[in-house]
Amino acid sequence: MPDQNEDIRIGVFICHCGSNIAGYLDMEALEEFAKKLPHVTFVQRNLYTCSEGGINEIKKGIQEQDLNRVVVASCTPRTHEPLFRSSCGEVGLNPYLFEMVNIRDQCSWVHMKDTEQGTAKAKDLIRMGVAKAALLEPQEPIISEVTTRALVIGGGIAGMTAALAIARRGYEVVLVEREASLGGMLNALNQVGPTMMEASDLVQEKVKAISEHSRITVFTQAQVTEVQGFIGKYHADIETESGVKKIDVGVVIVATGGRALVPEGLYGYDGKRVVNQLELESLLKGGLRPDVQNVVMIQCVGSRNKERPYCSRICCQTAVKNAMLVREQNPEARVCILYRDMQMYGVENEEMFRDSKKKGVRYINYTPEEPPRVEDGKVQVYHALLGRHMDLPADLVVLSTPLVSHEDAETTSQLLRVPIDENGFFLEGHVKLKPLDFATDGVFLCGSARFPSNIREAVAQGLGAASRASIPLSKGSVEVEPIISVLADEDACRGCGLCVALCPYGALEIQQTEKGRKVHVIDVACKGCGVCAATCYQHALSINSFTDQQIGAQVDAFLAG
Amino acid sequence: MLDVGRHPNIELLAYSEVEGLKGTAGEFTITVRKKTRYVEEDKCTGCGACAEKCPTVVPDAFNEGLGERKAIYSYFAQGIPSTHTIDADHCRQLNGKKCGICAKTCQADAINFDKKDQVIELDVGAVIIAAGYDVFDPSQIPEYHYTEIPNVVTAIEFERLLSASGPTEGHLDRPSDRAVLKEIASLEKQAKKSQKTLARFEEKYNESSASFYDKFQGGQYEGDEDRQKWADKYAAHLAIVEPLESLQKKAEGFTVARRLAFIQCVGSRDFRFYPFCSGYCCMHSIKEAIIAHEHEPETASVIFGMDIRAVGKGFEEYKIRGGNDSNVSYVRGRVAEISAGPDDNPVVTFEDTRERKVKNQAFDLVVLATACAPIKGMAALAETLGVALDPYGFIKTSPLSPVDTETPGIFVCGCAESPMDVPESVAQASSAAERAAEVVFQPEMKEEKAVA
Amino acid sequence: MSKDVLVIGGGIAGMQASLDLADMGIKVYLVEKLPSIGGKMAQLDKTFPTNDCAI
Repeated sequence: MPDQNEDIRIGVFICHCGSNIAGYLDMEALEEFAKKLPHVTFVQRNLYTCSEGGINEIKKGIQEQDLNRVVVASCTPRTHEPLFRSSCGEVGLNPYLFEMVNIRDQCSWVHMKDTEQGTAKAKDLIRMGVAKAALLEPQEPIISEVTTRALVIGGGIAGMTAALAIARRGYEVVLVEREASLGGMLNALNQVGPTMMEASDLVQEKVKAISEHSRITVFTQAQVTEVQGFIGKYHADIETESGVKKIDVGVVIVATGGRALVPEGLYGYDGKRVVNQLELESLLKGGLRPDVQNVVMIQCVGSRNKERPYCSRICCQTAVKNAMLVREQNPEARVCILYRDMQMYGVENEEMFRDSKKKGVRYINYTPEEPPRVEDGKVQVYHALLGRHMDLPADLVVLSTPLVSHEDAETTSQLLRVPIDENGFFLEGHVKLKPLDFATDGVFLCGSARFPSNIREAVAQGLGAASRASIPLSKGSVEVEPIISVLADEDACRGCGLCVALCPYGALEIQQTEKGRKVHVIDVACKGCGVCAATCYQHALSINSFTDQQIGAQVDAFLAG
Repeated sequence: MLDVGRHPNIELLAYSEVEGLKGTAGEFTITVRKKTRYVEEDKCTGCGACAEKCPTVVPDAFNEGLGERKAIYSYFAQGIPSTHTIDADHCRQLNGKKCGICAKTCQADAINFDKKDQVIELDVGAVIIAAGYDVFDPSQIPEYHYTEIPNVVTAIEFERLLSASGPTEGHLDRPSDRAVLKEIASLEKQAKKSQKTLARFEEKYNESSASFYDKFQGGQYEGDEDRQKWADKYAAHLAIVEPLESLQKKAEGFTVARRLAFIQCVGSRDFRFYPFCSGYCCMHSIKEAIIAHEHEPETASVIFGMDIRAVGKGFEEYKIRGGNDSNVSYVRGRVAEISAGPDDNPVVTFEDTRERKVKNQAFDLVVLATACAPIKGMAALAETLGVALDPYGFIKTSPLSPVDTETPGIFVCGCAESPMDVPESVAQASSAAERAAEVVFQPEMKEEKAVA
Repeated sequence: MSKDVLVIGGGIAGMQASLDLADMGIKVYLVEKLPSIGGKMAQLDKTFPTNDCAI
């Protein structure tokens, strides 16, 4: 609560916004109205409050009229609140003693044809803003130090790329890999498209770069078993063969990858004559038997169905690439790909697709209503263009199965308190605009842990995640707007944990205190969304600058009108 | 967008173009031309009073020419910066005519007709090319008759028709119908004017024009010059009103477009134009079909495509949902021709590969999912910057260094590199930022191998 | 030796690259040929697969 004895002096600045507001509302009436509101000691109208002249008037008002609260009635806080706040700060008024009232977007603009009603609404809005302003309290920005070290979980191509990038920028990196060696799925691959580089060469190149980098510490056959803390200050336990290592890091990158589905029970899969693409990779690596002369590949095995509705993005390009490699090893071999839609998106993939046709790979479309049938030594398929069933001889059937999430994705998700989606992949902060961030600050994402990615994409995402993660590292500290949740009434909190479960940002935790179980707000992680305060049936939590009293005062002011 | 506009570390040079580059990674000197807006950027508050008063109406590029703006304008309503710009090609004052209304209207005194282009030099350590793409011009495809048939539009034009802030406020009014309504409005204006003239005669002779005209045609007023004028005016009036009435009658039957066709791979996967796949267009069409259905529940859409490439996270599920909930159906194959049909309904000719039959189907509106083409000035920009292009005109990269151009210190992201969807563009943008940061933060490591 | 970066193009990619660099403390010059930034995405009504507003 503000100091009861404080003499509250509110200045109200009403903006004409050229004619955007003044053209439709009675500005003189608003000025006269504002003058009579409680605690208001100064009212001024400006042509543009946001112009240099307008800003100077606010500063002059604070200095000459001794204002200790400022209300600007103008446009949207989305564009202008930061400007007005910092202007207050420049002349010594705490920026959080500022309140903005939008009398343009949802007022003058929508009531252009009714000056009287529009003006009445603007009065309501100003009265509400003034009522809240009287209860505003100063706030100080929250600053927390950042440990300038990154933890990268997963040593596949995405994780290795991210680790190298962060190290090149001058920060320490701890890279944790569950297997005995770095490389991830690349270790199981033969040659990779579109350049047909040997996968092992790529792994060696990266591993060499990593081993030469003094700032990267690698733990193989290791697992992250415990993560505590928040952005800037994570403490992680890493279980290695030589015992548990405890490390402090500022940021975490999830690059745990995926795995190829083994199609048990589908199309007669036996791992010998009916294999998946990953198994074909190892057959190709060792050299295909010369008697493999008829190869049939079937796309979308175990994906784009009820159980796994997603398209796994990279299986078509894998099939096309391997089909060409089969023809390279056994030039007389007939290779036919049975597909639903050839997902050869972009420039390089489509190029490879065209190239494969030139090299004699054949394609037949099938529908899920009439899927191919694998029989002994042949595959029967309905050829829609010809309108009849046909039998394709098959020495080897290759099933293109989707990449699925890793078995330990759920454990990792619980450790880091970040979500996974219905298919088991990690769920990013925003599917369009924040593909490499989690909603939780300080944790980032790249590669097939997010969604199946080819090598180009995994490398790009590894670099991108490094960029995102390097932002707090390069700042050395995190600064958060103080409009966050606070445990305003500690006695009221019963430690039930409902708020902890609902917080989308992992910003709440239950702590054992002298008074028993109490919620604790990790202030740098909090975004001030208010879910916790709205949920708490004990009213123990409150949001700075949006307290129950402040919002209540606004409601009262509205109803008083 | 807003964060970019107000970030203290970002200097926004909008309405500007890069004209030169000298030097090498870590030490580039860039020449930038800041084109004049004829508006003082530090004075303009973006209030829009000038545009309201400006008498010159120009087709609006932001709305793909489907709407109109003034000769002084803000590029779009929420644009950043909101500084207005005078379109020098259309401004009356700048073309020697008397006007200057905007300067008189502007209360911030921001208009300056004498303002010239400014050429500045910038010293930078690294460059990121994020020049985007251009929409393929479908008038190059003769069999789709994009220019001749009004109700064939591009996907981005359709996007503006769907948008609440677009020229139709989100109603799917067909271009042919909008042309008729525009014609009606213009005829109504003319009719009103000629009605005024007639009214003067009617008052003078105290008789309706129609009954007078009957008598006049009977030869009653031969030699009367004034009445001859009246008769001429009335004849001219009828020449306006008659087509007006028939158009008005026609307009009564107008409804929003409900039967939609989306044609995929327009300019993409086509050896005559671009052999590559543009990646995002399948999903773009599905989205447009779903949104159109949200606007008008009776909408039914058919998407014609060789493969429907729904390859991103959540995309296949979105496609299925479109089919289940939004009346979207998918036909496999490339459309052979679009021709003009009765009632301005375009007719789509295609082979139904499932039934192995050639079919014709009429739609209210046909949407062309046009290819993602390199920007028009890409060759010139690449030459200015000294970077290599791929055979199609995108910036050349390699799979293991996906954002590095062949020139050290210069990086690329988004559709300037190759066609891609938004999340990929965003991820690549961060990748390019990472590579650029490595150059400017760690000069001593410049020699490290350029492989990412 | 300059520690600043030039970004050419103010669409979604150029904006994201600029923001990342600026947040790292690097000075960015963002050059856009049109009067406002936003690019193609600003022209989009909504985006798949969430049907969110574009920008």
